[in-house]
Amino acid sequence: MSKDIERQVEEQARVWSGIALSNAASRGFARGLAEVIHGFERARGQLAFEDEPSSFEAALQETKERTP
Amino acid sequence: MTAARERLSALTRLTLIEACEAVRNGEITALALTEAALGAFKAGDPTINSSIALDGEEALQTAARLDRLRKNGRLLGPLHGVPLAHKDMYYRAGKPCTCGSKIRGTFRPAYTATAIKRLEDAGSITIGSLNMAEFAQNPTGHNAHFGNCHNPWHVDHCTGGSSSGSGAAVAARFVCGALGSDTGGSIRLPATMCGVTGIKGTQTRVSRYGAMPLCFSADNVGPLARTAHDCARLLRTIAGHDPADPTSSIEPVPDYEAELDGDVRGLRIGVPTNYFFDGADPEVQAAFDIALQVLESRGARIVRLEIPHIDAVNTYASIVSRVEGATIHAQWMRERPHDYSIHLGGRLYAGYAIPAVHYVEALSRRGPILRALGSDVFGKVDVFATPTIRMKVPTLAATDIDAGAPGAIEAFGAITANTRVINYMGLPSVSLPCGFDSKGLPIGFQIQGRPFAEARVLKIAHAFQQDTDWHTRVPELSSVKALESAAES
Repeated sequence: MSKDIERQVEEQARVWSGIALSNAASRGFARGLAEVIHGFERARGQLAFEDEPSSFEAALQETKERTP
Repeated sequence: MTAARERLSALTRLTLIEACEAVRNGEITALALTEAALGAFKAGDPTINSSIALDGEEALQTAARLDRLRKNGRLLGPLHGVPLAHKDMYYRAGKPCTCGSKIRGTFRPAYTATAIKRLEDAGSITIGSLNMAEFAQNPTGHNAHFGNCHNPWHVDHCTGGSSSGSGAAVAARFVCGALGSDTGGSIRLPATMCGVTGIKGTQTRVSRYGAMPLCFSADNVGPLARTAHDCARLLRTIAGHDPADPTSSIEPVPDYEAELDGDVRGLRIGVPTNYFFDGADPEVQAAFDIALQVLESRGARIVRLEIPHIDAVNTYASIVSRVEGATIHAQWMRERPHDYSIHLGGRLYAGYAIPAVHYVEALSRRGPILRALGSDVFGKVDVFATPTIRMKVPTLAATDIDAGAPGAIEAFGAITANTRVINYMGLPSVSLPCGFDSKGLPIGFQIQGRPFAEARVLKIAHAFQQDTDWHTRVPELSSVKALESAAES
């Protein structure tokens, strides 16, 4: 999977953004995306998609500290 | 020690609140404080490398003007006559602002950041700009362009980043306060690694106008200083709505200092049973446990509880900053890729491959997750506390990605594990020192409250500092010690 991700990152960056950078660190950070992908897999199904728009700023207000 | 050096050393030992009061009462002048700060940098910074540029002459002129005002019975505000220095990412009209980078090496913004303007309007003196991670994007304090910033407690060790110079300059007693910024922990990490106090407010609490952007969804402007009381004054000065930054909150700003009464009786402090202690170093765990005992002895109640969706938060948090950072830097990454340090170029590069659907998913989950936190956590406790970092302060060598240090990329992620999730949730969070490890490097913990509960987290931090002296300890490489050894030799 590591090599797949490295290749995929290289292609995506080049095709979509016109960016080419190849050093050991860039390959290392690319490989690190594997854990993020696993994280998304684990998160699937935990939170239902809400039908209504739900903004973060609204949640800040709803959950905020209230003075007595 | 000569009388002159003794006097300089005494001035640099003052906390921000002490310095403000001394100027207000006419016990010391702004000029003396500014000369002491500049002298402190001169004596100690060749070793620490916390500054990028100092405006000595202008700062002394400003100090003299402020002294004349005070003599005529006029004080500009609660920071009158106190010298500060700030992370080199806050715009000041016509002044260089490198953002710790080669790419912005000649950048001179045309306008001034709201946070800087508010601090100066309150009477503070900006004496210079401080070292930082390149474009605020590493958690260690490495900087390939201006040199690494060194921890005043042990120069081989990280200061924490990205506000490396802010943490180091405050710890070393060069200045008594500094602005940092916090997108994934960049105020709290240097605060904990350097043994000082730092706070990020609720997302939207402080205007970001004139602050270099890293990630619009999670960037925060905030102070580092020696005490929670110092931070309360600085935060109150800069917080509040700013028409120039429409994303800043219209929520009123309370008088944080008025809440610092030391009374935490009955307050419920949550301690997570999941995520935040995974792989924690035993010395960090022990210091944290003792910190809880201190708060318990003041009458707080400890409640163990689970933080909902925290693994998902960790995943979502890690891509929001990467994608937004990659977007902001796309043009320079195309045109000047080799002007980035190796680690930053590499970190940004991976961001171009994250699918937009996942980025949007990560953003769309913030509201529901915060609501779950509101009920499942803040329905049971008033705040929750965790170690700021799980490990002991690492060395610069062990975390040097540019030099190819094995495991350094993974270390970057591990350092921010406990802080970046707080940015995603948008909560106010204060980090403060709670001990030292076996090598003599600081350990810190962080306290989080509901949105806009800055007063409450500062109140608890302040109460803790009434019973502990970790925040008063002076590192060997401070200006105080540098001035002493200069006098002895």
